[in-house]
Amino acid sequence: MVEVADTAVRAGLSGPRHPADPARRREARAGYGLMSPALLLMVAVLALPLAALIVLSFWTQSGFTLDRTFTLANYWRLIAPSDREVEWMGLTFRLAYPVPAILIIKSLVMSLTATVAVILLAYPMAYFLAFRVHRNKAAWIILLTVPFWTSYLLRVFSWKVVLGYNGAINSGLMSLGIIDAPLEFLLYNPAAVTITLAHSWVSFIVLPIYVSLEKIDRSMLEAASDLGDSKWKRFRRITLPLSMPGTISAALLVFIPTVGDYVTPELVGGPGGTMIGSLVQQLFTKQNNAPLGAAVSLVMMLIIGAMVLIFLTLIGYWRMRARRAA
Amino acid sequence: MQRHKFVDRMYQGKVSRREMMKAAGAFGVGTAMLPRMATAADILTCLEWGGYDDPSYYQPFMAKYGEAPNFSIFAGEEEALAKVLAGFAADVMHPCNYSVGRFVSAGLTVPIDTGRLTHWDDIFPVLKSAQGVVVNGDVVMAPADWGNSSIAYRPDLVEPDFLEDPSWSILYDDRYAGRVSTLDNELVVQIGLMVAGQKYEDVYDMTGPEFEAAAQEWGKKGLDTARFLWTDATTLQQAMASGEIVAAYAWNDLVGNLRNEGVPIAYANPKEGMFTWFCGLTLLNTGSADDAAAYDFLDAWLAPETGKLLIDESGYGHANMKSFDIADPAAVENMGLTDPVAMMETSLIFLTPPDAVQEEQTRIWEDLKALQF
Repeated sequence: MVEVADTAVRAGLSGPRHPADPARRREARAGYGLMSPALLLMVAVLALPLAALIVLSFWTQSGFTLDRTFTLANYWRLIAPSDREVEWMGLTFRLAYPVPAILIIKSLVMSLTATVAVILLAYPMAYFLAFRVHRNKAAWIILLTVPFWTSYLLRVFSWKVVLGYNGAINSGLMSLGIIDAPLEFLLYNPAAVTITLAHSWVSFIVLPIYVSLEKIDRSMLEAASDLGDSKWKRFRRITLPLSMPGTISAALLVFIPTVGDYVTPELVGGPGGTMIGSLVQQLFTKQNNAPLGAAVSLVMMLIIGAMVLIFLTLIGYWRMRARRAA
Repeated sequence: MQRHKFVDRMYQGKVSRREMMKAAGAFGVGTAMLPRMATAADILTCLEWGGYDDPSYYQPFMAKYGEAPNFSIFAGEEEALAKVLAGFAADVMHPCNYSVGRFVSAGLTVPIDTGRLTHWDDIFPVLKSAQGVVVNGDVVMAPADWGNSSIAYRPDLVEPDFLEDPSWSILYDDRYAGRVSTLDNELVVQIGLMVAGQKYEDVYDMTGPEFEAAAQEWGKKGLDTARFLWTDATTLQQAMASGEIVAAYAWNDLVGNLRNEGVPIAYANPKEGMFTWFCGLTLLNTGSADDAAAYDFLDAWLAPETGKLLIDESGYGHANMKSFDIADPAAVENMGLTDPVAMMETSLIFLTPPDAVQEEQTRIWEDLKALQF
C-alpha cells in the first residue's frame, strides 16, 4: 500500500504522462490482460456487493417492507443533532442517534491500541529474525506461521479459556496463592478484546517488518558504526527509518481489518466490549434494518479510508521534507 | 478403457448430468462444482433453537427419510425472522406463543391442516385453541414443547436472603455484580419494571419515552450487573457449573442438565412470578420442500416419544397428553406441574406486543447495549 502511494507521489513529481504513446498503450493492454482474472473476481465478489450496499443505503426499511424510494434519511440519521445530551467516557454527544458515532470512536481507539501493541510485539521478533538468526531461517518463518494452522475462531476462543474465570491465568495465580478469588476483569471487557486482537495479528505483522529489515544494506550499518554511532543511534538513524515502509504497511494491515471486527467482541467482549461491527450485524439481523446497517458500514469504510489517506499523505510529506533537508 | 469411453462420450455431449456428477464426485469435486439445489435437494430446511436439532427429537422423521433436515440455528426469534425476510428459504420454524404473531404479520406462515397430523387429537385441548396457536382463526403453530423462564441459581453460592425470598431483583443487585447473567433480550427491562412493582401485563407492550426511561434505569442496571448476556444456553451452563455465574435467567433444561452433572442447582419461583412459554412448529411459505415432509416433521415433534424425551431429559413439558403417561414418573414428579392449564394459571404467560412495539423495544435494547462500556 505504501509502495503504491510512493509510486503515485513520484509519478506526480516526474511530469505529465504520454497516454498517446502506442507502445505504452500496448503495454497497458497487456497489463489489463494479465490482471483480468483477478479483476473479474474483484468485480464479482467486491465491487458488485459494494454497489448493492450503496444502493441499499439509500432505501429505507419500514416494518417488514423495504421502501425503495431514494432518500438520504439513513445518513441523516447518523448525524442528526438533538438537544438531548449523551455522555460517554467524558465526551458529550448532541445527536439524536449517538450509538454509531460512539461505537465508531470506540472501535477506532480499540484497534489503534491493538495496532500499537502488535507493532511493539512484532518489531523485536522481526528484528531478531533479520539480524540474529543466521541458520534455518526458513524454519523460523514456518514456526511463525504455526498460529495460522488453526482457525481464527479457535484462537479467539482459546483466549476465552486463558482469560476465563477458571482459566489458565486465574487457576495459575490461585494455585500459587497470589489471589484468593478469580480475577474477573480479565474477560468480557474492551481490554480482553484488544488483547485478543493484538495476539491474533502479531504473526501476520512479523513478516512484512522482517522483509523490510532484511532488505537493509548491512554496509550502511557498518559505516554508521565506523563513523562513531552508538548502537542505539545507529538503530534510530538507519534501521528504524529504513524499516518504516514495512512497519507502516504492517500497521495498516492490522488497523483496517480490526476496526470492523465482529467475532472477537462477540466472544470475549461481554456487555461492554461491543464494536461497530457488532452494531452492523445487529442492524442487519435482529433489528431488521439493513438499509441503516448499510449506511453505517459505508460511513465506517469512508472514515477508515480517510484516516489511511491522511496517514499516508503525512508520511509522504515527512519523507519529502527529510529528502529536501538531506 | 472406461476412461476413454467417458471422455469420448463427453466430447459428443452424451454424458448425462448424473454421470458427470458421479465422475466428478469420484474426485471429491461434485458438490463444490454445482449449486446445492442441483444435487440431492434437502428434504426440509428448518430454523431451530440450538439443541433441538438433535435427531432424538424427531425420530419418526429420521426413520422415514433416513436423514435429518437441514438446520439453521437461531438464538432469538427476531434474528430468525430477519433471516427469513432477507431471503433464507426455510420450510419450518420453531417459534413460541409470543413470537409466532410476528411471522404471521410478515406474511410468512401457511395455515396448518390439522387433519394431516396424526397426533393432533392427543394434544392438550387448552393448547389447541390457545392464542399463538390460533391466529386470525387459522392454526399457525403446532404446539410441541412448553416450559418456564425463571431464575436458576447455585444454592451454595447465593446469599441467604435470596434463598428465603427469591426475587428477580438478584439480576439487578450490586452485590451480585459480575456474578449473574441474563438472556440477551429486552425482557431485562421488563423484568426490572416488575422488580419495581409493576405487573408484566402492564409493561410487556410499553413504548416511547416511558420504555426508554425504563431502559435507562433497569436495562442499564441489568447490563451493569450481568457478567455477560447469554444467547446460547451452553455458555451459561458452563459458567454456572464453574461458579462464575451464581444466578441467571434460564430455562428448565439447564437445571436438569446441571443436576445430572452433580452441580448443586435449583430453580426459583420468584415472588414477581415465573414465566411460562409454549412453543411449536410453524410452516413457512418460503421453503421449497414437499409439504408432506414438513407435516411428517411436525408429526414427529408431536409424537409422545419426543415428549417423553423432553420430559425425561430436559424437564420441559410436552403438548401431547400421552407423553406424560410414558415418561419416567420420577421426571414427571420433578417437573412439579404437569398440566399446562395449571401451569399457565400459576405463572406469567409470555405475551405478544404489537409489531411496532416489538421493533421499538428491540431497537432501544440494542442501542442501550451498544453504549455499555
